[in-house]
Amino acid sequence: MADLSVDLGFRTLKSPLIAASGTFGYGEEFLPFFDLDILGGVIMKGIFREPRPGNPPPRLHETPAGLLNSIGLAGPGSEKLQESIRRLRARTPVPIIVNVCGEDDDEFVAVAETFSAMAEVAMLELNISCPNVRQGGACPAQDAGHTARLVGRVKERIRKPLIVKLSPNVGDIVGVALAAQDAGADALSLVNTFLGLAVDIDARRPVFANIYAGLSGPAIKPLALRLVREVCRKAYVPVIGIGGISSGRDVLEYILVGAAAVQIGTINFREPAAALRITNEIEAEMERLKIGNLSEIRGQLQT
Amino acid sequence: MLDERGLIEDARSLGGNYHLLKIAAPGIAASAKPGHFVMVRVSAAYDPLLRRPLGILECRPPYIGLYFQALGRGTSMLAALGPGDSLDILGPLGNSFPEFPGKKVLLIAGGRGIVPLYHYAQVCAERRPLFLIYGGRGKADLPLLDRIKALRLQGLFIFSEDGSLGQKGLLTSGLEKIVREERPDVTLSCGPEPMLAALAGLLKPFPMQNLASLEAIMGCGFGVCQGCAVRTVTGALRKVCDEGPVFPLEEIQWPT
Repeated sequence: MADLSVDLGFRTLKSPLIAASGTFGYGEEFLPFFDLDILGGVIMKGIFREPRPGNPPPRLHETPAGLLNSIGLAGPGSEKLQESIRRLRARTPVPIIVNVCGEDDDEFVAVAETFSAMAEVAMLELNISCPNVRQGGACPAQDAGHTARLVGRVKERIRKPLIVKLSPNVGDIVGVALAAQDAGADALSLVNTFLGLAVDIDARRPVFANIYAGLSGPAIKPLALRLVREVCRKAYVPVIGIGGISSGRDVLEYILVGAAAVQIGTINFREPAAALRITNEIEAEMERLKIGNLSEIRGQLQT
Repeated sequence: MLDERGLIEDARSLGGNYHLLKIAAPGIAASAKPGHFVMVRVSAAYDPLLRRPLGILECRPPYIGLYFQALGRGTSMLAALGPGDSLDILGPLGNSFPEFPGKKVLLIAGGRGIVPLYHYAQVCAERRPLFLIYGGRGKADLPLLDRIKALRLQGLFIFSEDGSLGQKGLLTSGLEKIVREERPDVTLSCGPEPMLAALAGLLKPFPMQNLASLEAIMGCGFGVCQGCAVRTVTGALRKVCDEGPVFPLEEIQWPT
């Protein structure tokens, strides 16, 4: 029987599979479909201090094997999320990770402090990379200096492990990754969605009010996989790979290029029990390839 | 709510791009109520990536009936399926229509908006007086008329824009007269957005409860992706999938 556990250094997870923020609601929505405790963790949809309505419709546009979204981090605010987390904890022991957002650095720090203080929360993921908050897609993760300052401030005020979620919409993702690491990030997760554009030829306008939107889904997997490899070659903190994962084989690809764990996102919309299927597929692939634990192949891509 | 492998029992083209599927989906059929919808995975491949939201036309356990127009890639692939094919169906989803015991109910259906209202009529016609206004561009857009005539309705009013069936014109052109004469307690409507927007204006002077079932582009169908938001008159955004698809007509901010 394959051992799915992965070691992040600061914590061992029972599986490399983590449900990605923004694609798994607040966890409860998936309880009818499978036992969440098979997962390494679930990440709550990104949260700000106050409730946010998000962007005006339309918010979704399908592309071949992909999905453009411009949700704009709609959410209920910190107080309501604390209630959701307590409810989820009462139903399952799965590690709960909070995706921390902010309109400015002070808000990032305040939200991180709030959830660092919750016993039910295993770790935090700092969402410095959402492309849908500002028009044009600007976010802290596009600047290594800003990333370092913000990560440093947050780390000073929290007592939980901190994952920093990176943007692919940068010239030098390795530079930003190392800035986050050197400022104290315990792990890096990458990538958030790729900036994309959809055009309505009848209206001669962009489909989305924000013009650009974030692309996810199987279409981005090769792009994300390359960026994960680049960062894994230089960073010493564990990397959590994200982008287009929809099968057990995809997970092994990310582990081979150096990821310690992975997140599954858009596939959860199409297939609510995707995590269960992918877990079974990882086990089957490990047995086929005679892998006892994923650490045996982590970063072992032969070039 | 469950994700079930449905087996197509019967597939029919009704002319034009209208299609009818009869699918064995015992789990969903056991609990589907009028107004509920399902998310149907049309392909094992990743294009299209997302499921398609479709209203439930009828429910006769273990079967559900789906009625849809093949308009884009997803619905065209669905239309190409036949008996013996299987497909993943998530449902039943959404909030469904209240039953309104003892009330006089007017159903207002535009085109494929007949779907949830047909289901309502089938389940509720024997328990309360029901009237139906059904409109489309022409005869070809009203292919369910024979089935509708078999329902126990107290009144049926047909409209077609080209005059090929029933009264000529948009159904909204005859609405006020029907409402004045029949004096319903409740209206339930479903149809294109311009029709619902017009209804919101036309029905405002009357002291009735008006509910509309909305269509939206959806990512997941069960409240997670927040892709199907619709604006209300207070400026708030509500999710069509799990806060709807049925909303008070006057609560929605219709385009002007």
